[in-house]
Amino acid sequence: MPGGHVQLQSLTKRFDEVTAVDDISLEIEGGEFFSLLGPSGCGKTTTLRMVAGFEPPTSGSIVLDGVNVARLAPNRRNVNTVFQSYALFPFLTVAENVAFGLKYRSVSKAEITTRVGEALELVQLAGYEKRRPNQLSGGQQQRVALARALVLRPAVLLLDEPLGALDAKLRRTLQVELNALQKQVGITFLYVTHDQEEALTMSDRLAVMNRGKIAQLGTPEQVYSEPTDAYVADFLGVSNLMDATVETSGGAGPCRVRLGEFVLGAEAGDLRATGKVKLAIRPERIHLHPHESTGANQMPGMVERLVFLGSTTQIFVRLANGAALQALERNDGKGLPYSQGTPVRIELPADALRVLPDPGVGVSEIHEETLGDLPLDLATSAAPHS
Amino acid sequence: MASVIGEPVSAPAAGAVIERRRRPLGNPWRRPWGLEGFTVLYIAWSILPIAVAVLFSFNKGASQATWQGFSTKWYVGGWIQSVANNPELHQAVIQTLRLAGLTTVICVPIGVAFAIGIDRWRGRTSGGLNIVMIFSFVIPELLLAVALFMLVTQLLTFIALGTTAEVAGLVVWNLSWPAIIVRARLVTIGKTYEEAAADLGASQLGAIRRVLMPMLMPAIFASTVLVFASTIDDFVIVEQVSSTAATQPMSVLIYSNVHGGLQGPALNALATIMLFFSLVVAVIGYVAYRWMTRGERKAGATEALTSIAGM
Repeated sequence: MPGGHVQLQSLTKRFDEVTAVDDISLEIEGGEFFSLLGPSGCGKTTTLRMVAGFEPPTSGSIVLDGVNVARLAPNRRNVNTVFQSYALFPFLTVAENVAFGLKYRSVSKAEITTRVGEALELVQLAGYEKRRPNQLSGGQQQRVALARALVLRPAVLLLDEPLGALDAKLRRTLQVELNALQKQVGITFLYVTHDQEEALTMSDRLAVMNRGKIAQLGTPEQVYSEPTDAYVADFLGVSNLMDATVETSGGAGPCRVRLGEFVLGAEAGDLRATGKVKLAIRPERIHLHPHESTGANQMPGMVERLVFLGSTTQIFVRLANGAALQALERNDGKGLPYSQGTPVRIELPADALRVLPDPGVGVSEIHEETLGDLPLDLATSAAPHS
Repeated sequence: MASVIGEPVSAPAAGAVIERRRRPLGNPWRRPWGLEGFTVLYIAWSILPIAVAVLFSFNKGASQATWQGFSTKWYVGGWIQSVANNPELHQAVIQTLRLAGLTTVICVPIGVAFAIGIDRWRGRTSGGLNIVMIFSFVIPELLLAVALFMLVTQLLTFIALGTTAEVAGLVVWNLSWPAIIVRARLVTIGKTYEEAAADLGASQLGAIRRVLMPMLMPAIFASTVLVFASTIDDFVIVEQVSSTAATQPMSVLIYSNVHGGLQGPALNALATIMLFFSLVVAVIGYVAYRWMTRGERKAGATEALTSIAGM
């Protein structure tokens, strides 16, 4: 590995009264694809801007391959940034844009031409050298921005919501390309996004941020399937959150929780918890049964609304205690046996029901916080709260 | 609709559809005749006197009121009173261009530096300076002119009345143009481009030189054009602080002779030349602005016009 090892130590940034980044420490391995995920205002972009050198940290250090660069100017750091708005210089051609940074390195004219050619080749834009940025599509501009940064062979590439301005389909294509590119060049990527799908599909590891702090850090699988708090569970994909009380603490085995007048078994999460807790379950893990069926971990409810999403249908069900849950059913062509008002039995399988520590705030407040700027499917699920 | 709500709807028979006519004046899609007419009237009203003045600069006779045939003798030619031959008028044209040139060359760089300074400088001072910038649009020019006269005759006596004082006054009076136009452009550009340049290895000065300056060029050019054009037109300041006839630009000369009736149509010719300079500068400005911002989708004809017009 050519380096690219990043260590943030107690990094803090305060703007007047607001603490944007609050004592963050994390370590990124060389060659890793690392994402900072969170809603707008969670401090992820400020963290990135501090690593880039655009904002001086209030305290803490940024150690890049053994050197604390926290007090160095941006042009003295071996990191490069891909901006959300691309920031391509409009008065320069594509080739001139890519060559911009090479002028500050002791690189011969001939080598500049070769390296610009290679970089454009890498992002599949060979032949576009003479164009101006405004003659390119959004996706192409994004690639030029990428080439402009990669041509300098930085130790770390910083990407600030680079796909944010593109439409959904192009975003998917570029996600795949970006990932392949990262593996190919082997440079450490520090990627900032509010799109949980993007973070989950692309990253080796990711940190979910909330209010300037890291809420959870781990691989996409860990963070998605084993969220350690209600906030992460809610932000990463749609999650059903419920207020509950622990009846009998599980210890090594499953624990019993009371949800209104029903007692359910839960086998995931913090099984030693006592008192008030939050319960989380993914919509795809909820099963709906005809209302006359019986079985463990089932409760009666009523279908309130069906939202057709294409490959799946979102089903909002209302429990007897007033709580709303959403389930996700695959559209397999047979049609769903429910419509608005159908009474059903809702099964929350014990192995999917996760006990999370109570953050001391209500479910709706957690929702509100994770609603910064969210993808469409989250927006629809949030509708009952707004 | 013909069916009543609540009743079962049967297919309406042909011809059962009721046509409702709009009221004669209720058409929201009609051409706005009133507004159009008023606009045309307004333009005619403001252009007509100028057109007449220009026309009489080509009068064969010495009258500014009776048309006596076409001639260019008030501009060039052997006629002793033509602009080209009358040393006084000749001198006025040169003095006007000299003032415009000097003022522009001094005023624009200071204004650009000012704009960048205010943009960087956060906090109350910058807010205060911003208001001071707008001040010069609000305070009467005459006030500044009189104050300047007092200043150079009483206090700063090393500044001589004449070209030096004229340029000093014009620079102060016109400084807001580049400062405000360039600042507006800076706000549009944002900080990202400079950050990108720094990110790619440019120093602070390097980023200003290689990225900010090219991007500010349209605004700098627009303000250059404005300062130049507005100096050509200026009367109040230069009238106060000009000294001898040699430092009187066209505007002052036209003013001091218009009632004396000395030169007749030669004055019209002089005014026409002034108008011509201003127009040429404005057209150059407009075309160049469009050309310089051709790479940016947003910068259309309207932005060019408003920038040149200084709004």
